[in-house]
Amino acid sequence: MTYMWALYAREVKRFQKLLIDTLLSPIIQMVLFLTVFGITLQGQDVEGIPFVTFVFAGLLMMIMVNSSFSNPTFALILGKNVGTIIDLQLAPIKPGSIGLAYALAAFSRGLLTILVAMLITVWFVPEFTISNPFLMLVALLLTGIQFGLLGVTFGMIAKNFESLTIVMGFVLQPMIFLAGIFYPIASLPAPFDLISRFNPLHHNINLFRYTTLGYADTHPMLSLAVIAGITIVMYFVVQRVTRTALRKSYS
Amino acid sequence: MTVLNVQSISKTFPAKQKQGVVHANRDIHLQIEEGQIYGLLGPNGAGKSTLINIISGILLPDQGSVTIYDKDVIHDTEAAKRLMGVVPQEIVVEMAFNVEEVLYYYAGMYGVPQQERNTLIEAALTDLDLLDKRLAKARTLSGGMKRRLMIAKAILHKPKFLILDEPTAGVDVALRQKIWALVRRMNEQGTTILFTTHYLEEAEQLCEAITLIDQGKVIKQGSLKDIQKEFAENVVAFELYDNKVEHLPNVHENATQFHFPITDLAEDMQKVIQHYGDNLKSVKSEAASLEQIFLQLTHHGN
Repeated sequence: MTYMWALYAREVKRFQKLLIDTLLSPIIQMVLFLTVFGITLQGQDVEGIPFVTFVFAGLLMMIMVNSSFSNPTFALILGKNVGTIIDLQLAPIKPGSIGLAYALAAFSRGLLTILVAMLITVWFVPEFTISNPFLMLVALLLTGIQFGLLGVTFGMIAKNFESLTIVMGFVLQPMIFLAGIFYPIASLPAPFDLISRFNPLHHNINLFRYTTLGYADTHPMLSLAVIAGITIVMYFVVQRVTRTALRKSYS
Repeated sequence: MTVLNVQSISKTFPAKQKQGVVHANRDIHLQIEEGQIYGLLGPNGAGKSTLINIISGILLPDQGSVTIYDKDVIHDTEAAKRLMGVVPQEIVVEMAFNVEEVLYYYAGMYGVPQQERNTLIEAALTDLDLLDKRLAKARTLSGGMKRRLMIAKAILHKPKFLILDEPTAGVDVALRQKIWALVRRMNEQGTTILFTTHYLEEAEQLCEAITLIDQGKVIKQGSLKDIQKEFAENVVAFELYDNKVEHLPNVHENATQFHFPITDLAEDMQKVIQHYGDNLKSVKSEAASLEQIFLQLTHHGN
């Protein structure tokens, strides 16, 4: 276990070195969203929850998803560019442990970013509550690991930062925005409400919103099962991709 | 005990500008025994680094097997990697960390417990004259210091088997001496060493055995002594002030010189010196240098 935790500690240290960069961008984004929605949609609500509070929960999950995906992806692509990926290739760490170390570091970064963002912006949403703290932590942990593992998979496969920009811009962001951050899925006309439920990210946002505001578009236990299932599948994908990528990229 | 056992390793890569493949390694066999300092030598593009990468477990061969202390590098990679330290050819350092942080986390990645890391880091930095740089950002170090940092990373976990891929490339003479002194010290403490170098005189001084490869194939292999014997003119050649003395058996005259056939280079040289003493004007062995052998075998001497 020392092997994996050392790698985890290294990756945590790495984002701590860039703490301001890590925190500033998502927090500014969050403040902008809350300001715009707070002003333009003042007085509107979703089943009794003020609209800005409804959006706030979704935005926190968006930060978690973005942070945990980009943390390992940036580290791995940078490692390939400067050659430090050799450390991972030479070290006697199992591919699954490499994936988990990066994913846990990704979760740590996401959690830290969320906590700071909450502390700074919570005054926008005085009605924000946490209805089930334990389940909320489970939702955050699983989401962090799930997208951390996805980030590791992508970081292992991607050759350069251009690929990352494409995936974040054309795949991840549309999925985030169509997952129900800014609106309840139930308000969409058929068949879009059904299609949205097949967006895996919907379940992350849905579960987190349930654990904080008590509101859910889809049964929260179904969302929990989907997230857990995807996380387990991702772990096995990461094992395979990492072993192959680390033995290929040096040739 | 056999530390490294390489059997029938072959590796091809797709040719970059033409169809077909490039044979980087062809049916390579190699064995290194415990306690040896072993040289892997060959011209640029001979396939040395490909072989090192396969032995290090970061590149899969097309065929063949590699074991380190009986641990299969291909199928039981992590167990094999724990036993070795590798200094890669390319100098790369972490951008974000200082020297101490680089070593601290890297030691952890090799399973060194937290409480032991600081002591080991201090010892490695002292050995490599980097102690005063422990808090410097790794990226700000000079090329030679970065090279030393990479060596420090590879020896921190006290590997039983150390691989150095051209560790002295691009470093000054003084530093080269320090690196080889460290290698010798580690070897005396029980570490088996495999290295590649372009400085053949270094290989001559350090190695007990070598493998010469060219165009992916082994062209000569064995103890350096035996190889030199094979390529030498097999004589101790000497001149005397007074030729009318009682000669050693088997000594014959050759123009102005005398030749004594070599069975064991060091012993026979000693015999000649002891027998002729102050009467010796000059004495030399005609053993071929590694460089001569290298050039002869790889046909790069023409």
